[in-house]
Amino acid sequence: MKANKHLLLWSSLGTLAVLLWAAVQENFFRDWRLIQREIQARLPSAQADAFAIQLRQIVSRQVGTTDRCVSCHVGMTPGESGIESNRLYGRHADVVHDPASFGCTVCHGGQGRATDTADAHGAIPHWPERMLAKEYLFAGCGGCHTHLSVPNLAELEKGRARFEQADCLACHKVDGRGGTLRPGGAGGQEGPDLSRVGAYGYKVDWYELHLQQKKKATSGPWLSAFGELLESERTAMDEYLHSRVGAPGLLEAKGLFHTFGCRGCHKVGGVGGDDGPDLTAVGNKDPGQLNFAQVAGERTLANWLKQHFRSPASVVPGSVMPELGLTERQIDQLTLYVFSLRRRSYPEALWPKDRIRAERFGTREFATDGATLYGTFCAACHGPKGEGMRYPGFAAFPAIGNPDFLRLASDDFLREQIKRGRPGRRMPAWGAQEGGLKDGEIGRLVTYVRGLGGVAYEGDSRPRRWAQGDPAEGQRLYGEACASCHGERGEGKEGPALNNPVFLDLATDSYLFKTVQNGRAGTSMAPFGAGSSVRSTLTDAEISTVVVFIRSWEGKK
Amino acid sequence: MNGVAGKQPTGGATALGRFMENLQAVPRRFAETMFRTGKPQSDRTRSTFVFGNVFLHLHPVRIHRWSLRWSTTWGLGIAAVSCFFVLVVTGVLLMFYYKPYPDVAYLSIKDIHFVVPTGRFIRNIHRWSGNLMVVVVLLHMARVFYTAAYRSPREFNWVMGMGLLVTTLGLSFTGYLLPWDQLAYWAITIGANIAQSPREVTDALGITEWFDVGGLQKLILLGSEEVGEEALIRFYLFHVMILPLILIALMTVHFWRIRKDGGLARPADADSRLGPPAAGVYPVFTEAPQKTYSLAAIVKGRTPAVGSGPEQTVPSMPHLMFGEAAVFMLTIVLSVVFAILIDAPLKEVANPAVPENPAKAPWYFLGLQELVSHSAFMGGIGIPMIVLIGLGLIPYLDREIAGTGVWFGGPGGRPLVVRSTVFGLAAVLAVEAFVIRFGWIRQWWPGVPQMVITLLNPGTVLTVFYAAYSVWSLKKYDSTRAGALALFTCFICGFVVLTVIGTYFRGPNWDFYWWPSQWPGH
Repeated sequence: MKANKHLLLWSSLGTLAVLLWAAVQENFFRDWRLIQREIQARLPSAQADAFAIQLRQIVSRQVGTTDRCVSCHVGMTPGESGIESNRLYGRHADVVHDPASFGCTVCHGGQGRATDTADAHGAIPHWPERMLAKEYLFAGCGGCHTHLSVPNLAELEKGRARFEQADCLACHKVDGRGGTLRPGGAGGQEGPDLSRVGAYGYKVDWYELHLQQKKKATSGPWLSAFGELLESERTAMDEYLHSRVGAPGLLEAKGLFHTFGCRGCHKVGGVGGDDGPDLTAVGNKDPGQLNFAQVAGERTLANWLKQHFRSPASVVPGSVMPELGLTERQIDQLTLYVFSLRRRSYPEALWPKDRIRAERFGTREFATDGATLYGTFCAACHGPKGEGMRYPGFAAFPAIGNPDFLRLASDDFLREQIKRGRPGRRMPAWGAQEGGLKDGEIGRLVTYVRGLGGVAYEGDSRPRRWAQGDPAEGQRLYGEACASCHGERGEGKEGPALNNPVFLDLATDSYLFKTVQNGRAGTSMAPFGAGSSVRSTLTDAEISTVVVFIRSWEGKK
Repeated sequence: MNGVAGKQPTGGATALGRFMENLQAVPRRFAETMFRTGKPQSDRTRSTFVFGNVFLHLHPVRIHRWSLRWSTTWGLGIAAVSCFFVLVVTGVLLMFYYKPYPDVAYLSIKDIHFVVPTGRFIRNIHRWSGNLMVVVVLLHMARVFYTAAYRSPREFNWVMGMGLLVTTLGLSFTGYLLPWDQLAYWAITIGANIAQSPREVTDALGITEWFDVGGLQKLILLGSEEVGEEALIRFYLFHVMILPLILIALMTVHFWRIRKDGGLARPADADSRLGPPAAGVYPVFTEAPQKTYSLAAIVKGRTPAVGSGPEQTVPSMPHLMFGEAAVFMLTIVLSVVFAILIDAPLKEVANPAVPENPAKAPWYFLGLQELVSHSAFMGGIGIPMIVLIGLGLIPYLDREIAGTGVWFGGPGGRPLVVRSTVFGLAAVLAVEAFVIRFGWIRQWWPGVPQMVITLLNPGTVLTVFYAAYSVWSLKKYDSTRAGALALFTCFICGFVVLTVIGTYFRGPNWDFYWWPSQWPGH
């Protein structure tokens, strides 16, 4: 009994101690209490009395957030004032979206309902969704603004260059630069800040209005800084201004995404190729579901993504994603963009304009000029200038900007080819049903691709099928001259597959004949109509028989 | 007033005086009347105190010294009750804030965790003492088995104990869904699919259309095809109302039967094993008995006071009370220490569109899930039923006498238990290693009839091994008890190993991994 008495005593004391500890912890040492007490101590005494140490929260019924972040970041509580400026505890910087009505987690991520630092920021077990790190902050925009229309990097840069060359920065501020002069004279009217002009919109006739002002002016910036602009310059500037929505870093990152042709393999929002995983919501991925076996460092999504961009196949064994040879800055940008792919389901009433336009009216989240379309969908495989691509471990991708090719390929050929793809090969079909491109977009792509080679279609007066000859002889010649690159049965090796049904359907006999005869300068395809020291010349008749032999695959599997 | 009253030495004379006197006496009288038989100060008043108190009278007035030894019970039964007590108190507190509706439930748990004063602490206590209760109940069962305390006349109480085990698991399982996070949602989805697994058999027989007992079980469990609001309300009601009531009812019977079955089991030679009581212990029953034993003539069975002398018994108050109080506080201190050290898990809100991979049931069902991964019916229903029926039958099959009340008592004894542990571990590890290395029937011959796959679970093979070993032991020692010792020990080994494998070594798609860090992505 004595032992039991001791046990009772000590376990009771133990329980009491733990309960006391819990009570003290709860009432005095919660993170937010400590922080608020410290802030209170720094306030002037009159204010300190009015400053209540209590839980604070921003509740947005609209968005469905209850964010208690302001219990620690006290200065960001709506209506709180007088707290000394401090990055963490002072006022929130002025942003488009008022934290008082949207809350915090909509943009920053993390657990809004949590009241402990680690919990709220999400660095705890069982909680996969961390708060966005500072360098990826703008990825938060992607939760709602899934459809910001962005051109490729070159187009974006072109627009920015025009804008700056035209000296617009003299009066207008953009992303924190410019705006040194006042068109209205000292103390007079300021040039509006254009950093978010893409979101708010601007007058269509801004150029005419500016011109009128210039005519009226006798001196000052209207006269000195504003000059006449060409239509093409204005178009480029418009594209640039449309992209100014207050998130320049994210826009640039998305521009990069639209430059490397990532969508050639990856779908985002239903548009893109099928070879790679759908990226629509990849920013929400749970790092717990990722393979970190080959990834050194932190087990975070950001770290995994970066390592993956550096060397996809070493992080995901068997990955067919090529190593793109990116710079660290580009890797950071792409990581930011991929992070931003985190669309959430919010009530439609809260959707931003861009999302409504895209999901209800079918506008695009990429600019739809030919250059951007090419950068977005084609550049990864066919090269930024249509020169073809050769990644280690992959057969070469065709040079579609090659003049020898474009001379023989009609616009219809290109259009149908893009639409129908090469079934069974790497080229996906891009028609509305498959890849999701519209006819008009494909048309602009065709124009752009033609521009890459700079040559027009030479025309073909002969019927689509005219070649004649002995298929057996054709087969012999094919075996000697072509099979080593195109495969015994035309299945394609280093060279493209010739037995592909879409290819055989689209390519006319003239196309095949002339390609064999003239080859494609700058690629491995030699001109067989002109011999060399290692290769005998094929006569026109011989080439015809080869074409006949190639035709023999048509309709076969 | 007091002064006036004090000045009247013969206050009892007047009505007002008597009133004042009574008024003054209220606190003393109140204390006295609380106890039916006066303050529990002497040996006798303590006994009558226990006897006359509604909460204490489930205890015997006097208790055998054997029962008070720590090694007799390790206090596991009391620990289980203590856990239940803690769970009721913390559970009721949680109910103030918990809202049983999908998504809202999750938010209310977050509020409890982050905003409600001490809410997190209370929830942690609830979580950990819930787990502790499952562990303690299992250990309690093992204790009763190994001390052969289930034997006549305690057979039925062992069956009651089985009922309590199942109810405890049910309580823990229903509570698992309530946070409505991913962990909860997918664990319950797994559980519901196990309930549905008889469909595997009815499908193979082609009678699902007419007799879908699996589907019906799932429907009864979830109230719908999927884990949704119906399931949540259902689980909530079971968790806070139906199962606790069942548990309380079963517990009452369980305790009452302990008394009626003659207290805790002890060896026949307990007295000689104990030796004479130590000098400090309350002496033998010296006071003249107040109660008559006339009732003993009509009372059936043996009670501690009948048929054996009171010499080795001591008054329950205070001896037993201190023991129980010590166990009670020990349980609480364990729960609160766990609660302050480890937070109860909470993942993101349940999302039916994003399955957890691996989705795991609560830990005590992971052994089953390991078997279920090969075929749902045998793993999830067949083998558990065999185990439960087997456990329930033990006291009715083992009707021997030798070894009652002694740890590992009976023919074979401790060496048999050790050997059975070795065999039990070896068998389960061999079967698991084989399955993990070479796969199972479905991988070898995908065309095999479903019935074969259903019935020939690795667990079936393991059960056959264990049964054969048990029969061999039974023959070797010529004793049912020896067979039971072998089988029960093997069962414990199987349960522990399968649970550990299910918990720590199974990753995405239920593949085997040495470490969670090797889990692949994509």
